[in-house]
Amino acid sequence: MQTPSSDPRSDTDPVTVRPFHFRGLFLTAVALRLETSEMDETFYERLDAALAQAPQILDDAPIVLDFALVPDMNVPGKIRDLIDRLFERGLLVFGAQNATDVQLSTVRGYGIIPIKVGRETALPSAKTKAKPAKKTPEAPPKSNMIVTAPVRSGQMVVAEHGDLTIVGSVASGAEIVAAGNIHVYGTLRGRAIAGAHGDESARIFCQSQQAELLAIAGLYKTSETIEPELRKRSVQVFLEGDNLCVEAFQ
Amino acid sequence: MTQLKEDGPRGRVIVITSGKGGVGKTTSAAAISAAIAKRGHKVVVIDFDVGLRNLDMIMGCERRVVFDFINVVQGDARLSQALIKDKRVDTLSILPTSQTRDKDALTSEGVEKVLDELRKDFDYIICDSPAGIERGAQMAMYYADEAVVVTNPEVSSVRDSDRVLGLLASKTQRAEKGLEPVKSQVLLTRHDQGRIDRGEMMAVEDVLELLAVPLLGIVPESTAVLRASNVGMPVVLDAPSSAASAYEDAVARLLGEDVPMRIGSDKRPGLLGRFFGRSA
Repeated sequence: MQTPSSDPRSDTDPVTVRPFHFRGLFLTAVALRLETSEMDETFYERLDAALAQAPQILDDAPIVLDFALVPDMNVPGKIRDLIDRLFERGLLVFGAQNATDVQLSTVRGYGIIPIKVGRETALPSAKTKAKPAKKTPEAPPKSNMIVTAPVRSGQMVVAEHGDLTIVGSVASGAEIVAAGNIHVYGTLRGRAIAGAHGDESARIFCQSQQAELLAIAGLYKTSETIEPELRKRSVQVFLEGDNLCVEAFQ
Repeated sequence: MTQLKEDGPRGRVIVITSGKGGVGKTTSAAAISAAIAKRGHKVVVIDFDVGLRNLDMIMGCERRVVFDFINVVQGDARLSQALIKDKRVDTLSILPTSQTRDKDALTSEGVEKVLDELRKDFDYIICDSPAGIERGAQMAMYYADEAVVVTNPEVSSVRDSDRVLGLLASKTQRAEKGLEPVKSQVLLTRHDQGRIDRGEMMAVEDVLELLAVPLLGIVPESTAVLRASNVGMPVVLDAPSSAASAYEDAVARLLGEDVPMRIGSDKRPGLLGRFFGRSA
C-alpha cells in the first residue's frame, strides 16, 4: 500500500560503482529551549518530570540545545555540567542553536555542532539537489498526498512536501507525518505530526480525536496531556505562539 | 459423502493469520479446510509454523508424518511423498511441517515452487501461518490471494490484526507487483456474549470499526473446539456444535455465498465448562 518513503529509483544509472553517495537526510530532532540560566535542582526536577511524562518520545531522541533566551549564560562550567546531566538522562545532545560565541566555544569541546535555526537548514539541500539531478531527472515532488485506505498499526505515511489527507482511520501505533497540514476523515488513534519541517502555521484536523500524539512544528501533546473532554470530538490543532491548542468544533 | 466439483477457482491460496498467538489460527485453518473439502473441493492445508508444528495433531495425522514441507522445499522429498490424505474427507490433504527445523528453512523460491505445484492439483490451498510477523508469517502470507485474519474480541488481538492487515496490504506478492490487493477478511473467534455484556471483551461492531475489513464470521467460545482438538478432529467433522456451524457459515461466505450473520452459543455452559472453554 502506501509506502511513500521507498521511492523507486531507476536502475539504469550507468555509473554502477561508486565508493560513497551524498544524500539529503531529514532528521527530526527535539529542541530543548533553556528559559532560565539558573540550573538549580528545581530545573532538573522539572526536567525529570517532563521526561517521565513522555519517555517514548524523548528516549534516544536527538536533542538541540537552544540558547536563544539565555545569552547571559556564559559560565563554561555551568554549561558543561548541564550537558553532562542531560547525557546522564539519555538525552542525546548533538547541537546548539542561537548560541553566543562563548557558549559555542564551550559546547564545541563536547563535539556539539552549531545548528542554524530549523527552517534555514532546508536551503542547502535544495541547492545541492541541482547538480546530481541531471542524470536521473526525478519527477517534481508532488506537494500534497491523499491516502484513501486506513493507515494501520505499524505503518508510517509521510507527506514530505505538503499536506496529507487521510480518508479513513489512523490506527493506534500508526504514524502520519506531513510538512504541511494533516486532515483525517476518520478516527485518529495514532500519532500525527504536522509542520514536520518547522512550519508553525500547519494544522491538524480530524473527525474523531483519540490520538496518541499530536505535534506541530516540534511542539507536541500526548494522549495524557490532551484534555479528556476532547476525546472522540472533531478537533483542529494549531499553534498559538508556543502553545499547542486543541480545539473542538461545535 | 463428497462429490468432486468442477467449478470454482483452482489453486486459490488463502492464508490464515493473526499476528497474535493463541487466537485460534490452527483450529480455524483445520476447520475451514475441512469444511471446504466437505463441499467437494480439493483442498490442501499447509503448516507454516516450522518448529512448532500443531496442525498435524489437530488434523489427527501426526503419526502418519514421514516427509514434510521443509523436505519438499529443500528438494529432499517429492511433494507426493509429503502430502497426507485425510482419512475422513477424501478431497482433503495435509502438508505438515518440520518440528526440528526453524523458520529460516523456508525460502521464498522454495515456497513458490511448492505452491505452484499444489495449484495444479488443488482448488484451495490453505496456509496456516505461525504467530508473529517475522519470516514464517511473511512466507505464509506472501503468495496469498485471500487472507482470513483470526481475531479475538480484545484490544491486543485487534491491534495485532491491524498490523497484519497492513502487512497484507504491503508485504505480499500482490502488493509488490501492484496486482489486485489480497482480499482480507476478519474471523472473530472465542466470541463470548456474556463477557462482552460484562465489558470484559470488545463488541463486534467496535472490532470491525477498528479493522475496517469485512467480517467473515463469528465463532463462539465453545468447549467443542477443545474437545475436537484433543481427539485430532477438525471441529466441523466432530459432533454438531455452535462453533462447527459458525465455521460452516464462514466457509460458505468465503466461497461467495450470502449467509446471514448469526451469533451462536452453546446452551448455558456450566461453571466447569466455561472454565475449560476459556483456558483452551
